[in-house]
Amino acid sequence: MAKFKHFLVAAPYYLWIGLFVILPIGLIFIYSFHDLNGHFTLNNYLNFFKNQTYLLMAFNSLCFAIIITFISLIVAYPIAWIISKFQNSRDFLILLVIMPMWINLLLKTYAFIGIFSRNGTLNNLLASLGLGRHQFLFTDIAFILVAVYDQLPFMILPIYNSVITINHSLINASFDLGASKTQTFWRIIVPLTLPGIKSGVQAIFIPSLSLFMITRLIGGNRVITLGTAIEEHFLSTMNWGMGSTIGVILIIAMILIMLLTKESK
Amino acid sequence: MSKFKNGFFLFFIFLILYLPIFYLVYYSFSSGNNIAKFENFSWQHYLNLFADRRLIGIVLNTILIALISATIATTIGTFGAIYLNDLTRPWAKNLTLTLNNILIVSPDVIIGASFLILYSAIKLHLGFWSVLISHIAFSVPIVVLMVLPKLKELTHSYIDAAYDLGASSQQVLTRVILPFISSGIFSGFFMALTYSLDDFAVTFFVTGNGFSTLSVEIYAMARRGISLEINALTGIIFFVISIAMVFYYFVLQRNKKQKRIN
Amino acid sequence: MTGKTIVELKNINVIIDDLQILKNISFELETGKFYTMLGPSGSGKTTILKVIAGFSQPTSGEVFFNGKKINQLPPNKRKINTIFQDYALFPNLNLFENVAFGLRLQHKHNSEISDRVSQILDLVQLNGLEKRSVEELSGGQRQRVAIARSLVLNPKMLLLDEPLSALDAKLRKKMQYELRNLQQRLGITFLFITHDQEEALAMSDFIFVINNGEILQSGTPVDIYDEPINHFVADFIGQSNIIDGTMVRDFVVKFVGKTFECSDAGMRHNEPVEVVLRPEDLDITEVKKGKLTVKVKSQIFRGDYYEIIAYDEDHNKWLIQSTNPVKDGAIVGINFDPEDIHVMRFGEKEQEFDARLETYED
Repeated sequence: MAKFKHFLVAAPYYLWIGLFVILPIGLIFIYSFHDLNGHFTLNNYLNFFKNQTYLLMAFNSLCFAIIITFISLIVAYPIAWIISKFQNSRDFLILLVIMPMWINLLLKTYAFIGIFSRNGTLNNLLASLGLGRHQFLFTDIAFILVAVYDQLPFMILPIYNSVITINHSLINASFDLGASKTQTFWRIIVPLTLPGIKSGVQAIFIPSLSLFMITRLIGGNRVITLGTAIEEHFLSTMNWGMGSTIGVILIIAMILIMLLTKESK
Repeated sequence: MSKFKNGFFLFFIFLILYLPIFYLVYYSFSSGNNIAKFENFSWQHYLNLFADRRLIGIVLNTILIALISATIATTIGTFGAIYLNDLTRPWAKNLTLTLNNILIVSPDVIIGASFLILYSAIKLHLGFWSVLISHIAFSVPIVVLMVLPKLKELTHSYIDAAYDLGASSQQVLTRVILPFISSGIFSGFFMALTYSLDDFAVTFFVTGNGFSTLSVEIYAMARRGISLEINALTGIIFFVISIAMVFYYFVLQRNKKQKRIN
Repeated sequence: MTGKTIVELKNINVIIDDLQILKNISFELETGKFYTMLGPSGSGKTTILKVIAGFSQPTSGEVFFNGKKINQLPPNKRKINTIFQDYALFPNLNLFENVAFGLRLQHKHNSEISDRVSQILDLVQLNGLEKRSVEELSGGQRQRVAIARSLVLNPKMLLLDEPLSALDAKLRKKMQYELRNLQQRLGITFLFITHDQEEALAMSDFIFVINNGEILQSGTPVDIYDEPINHFVADFIGQSNIIDGTMVRDFVVKFVGKTFECSDAGMRHNEPVEVVLRPEDLDITEVKKGKLTVKVKSQIFRGDYYEIIAYDEDHNKWLIQSTNPVKDGAIVGINFDPEDIHVMRFGEKEQEFDARLETYED
């Protein structure tokens, strides 16, 4: 086929790359050097690295993201593994994992407000058992729990997909050569499912760094992450320069994660 | 024995996974006005929901945005993928692919914030159009990623064979390439639809007064205080999705069986 | 070393989902011999291997290893190793680490591991490729890695599950020699699974022919080729002409309306039987001199001989190998010796067959 015809049909695609990929990132980078009046400044970056609150917030954000990702991995792995064992019904079971993903994230989060709130179901249950009412909503634990809940399928699916591609004779071969079940798991199964683990970590870690909806609704104003900070600077205090600076930091963190979890060939 | 244990474990996991959904649906049938206590069975909230023209309008907006953005993104993405797949220089291919994937791995806040800067720079009014354009923008790369593997399966001998049998380049496109990659295009469209329906953060950044999608509306409502109309809405959504899933599952099973027979 | 029983299967039955995969399988394997389990796909031969390796549990019956019952022993505790059909090399490990895998599990010292691995790589001629990823290896090299990986653990027995089926014809021939050589040098027992009768005849000391979960016949390659027990074995191993006939009395059989002298006995008078004549035992002659008269239908040049298809007056099809070509449509005679005729009874079991042979052979 003649090349020029191709290029014409692909023109909208390249226009898209230019307008919605390169330009916005460029703009965020440029804005990060602007102050409130639109003048060039380095103060945003100086602020970020000098100001304790920003550094603490970044560190906090990182800790939450690590905890959320780690818990998701620990919970998702056995789920994916066990589903793969049900040879006949695993298509159906994995559909059951996918289905909650189709319910709007906001709705599920909103359910947790009802469950965790002061007069919510969980507290009613505890009160009726004589255990008293406790604060669940707006705690770190509630935030982590809901974040894990919302993102769990994104960890289960890639791990499941790599588990089902394991050739069963590899596992038999490992037993055959004298490996126990534990040895087979760590030496064969984990390395073979590493691509799935990596994409699961990618799919959860980066969004977790920048969550702001769950943070606001479940964590209250106690939990502040890079995501909530960006939202605040852009939509409340209108300090787009500082918001962009935090955005650039987040982009750099994202690139680091991508490099760390890259497929080694 | 271990199968029994595994089954029990999965049952427990699915119980937790579905608990919030069932919880919402359960209270949608309560005659009370809050989520703390179930009073009497009632369809009241469903009736309120259907009478609430504002909320119904928002639901329709959400669906409209999803359908339009998915259709346009699928068109742009499919042709982009065809071109990308034909690139011969490795660096050009890698560069395009990397740029393509940026929006997929970018956090929603970054996409939302950067689009907001873009729209204010070109003085685009925030509302329906800014939301629609944003949804198209973040759906394009996923369509490309869904179509690309199918194109890789399409070896050059198919295309050569079509030319050999007298097809013009346009006929090659419409009669060989597009039909062959149709399953990829379909799943791309499907994913774009999902992305759009599920999006909250990007829409939240780029929408203005007077235009709202379901996610943004629920966020506002959840902060204001809760109405059980939302529960009724969840009930309806869950019902529709369940039917779609059952349907999808049977189609999947039938295709599988057919493959086995062939 | 030979002669001692290493593995014994006693009345093994395997039933999966109401399907009887193995029916009452019993046999003994001796140390240092090359055994082949020969059968078409789905015959149950791989299940036998899995029962010995420990990947499948028999529904009933016993498995013995060196006289000890090992039904309950998991595969990682059995001193038997398997070469898998697809070799099952670990893609996450390079060639060296694949071979070292079993030794690493035993927490051997690094120096010992590298010594033993390089020794075994010498044996299978793979030294110098230690750092290669297994994906970069050719089919033949992969197979050698799989063998080295097992041999480095000094197994008492090696199970080979159709290891040559993925290789091209030329390499397959070469590997047949290599495997046979290796087995004789090491003196360990090989149980080789295949559906390729040529492979089985070429490599084995002893063959088990299996179909539908039953062992139909076992013996040396020559025994099985010359005296197949029934239609299935005769047809499956080598090429053959199988004709319906009648056993008139001992050493006399009748087919195509004529009576012939033969070397079989021990059957009822006038018992209906099947007669086997191998194509390479048939000679083309003039009609007058031939024992049978056939009309040539077609022929193919096979390189070292012509393969001729002809029909007799009863419309039986005859396959004949001849060094010289004949004319299409020609009427010719075919000749054979009495000992070329092999007579098979319907439904005879291996034990009955062996017992009958004892009565008239010395």
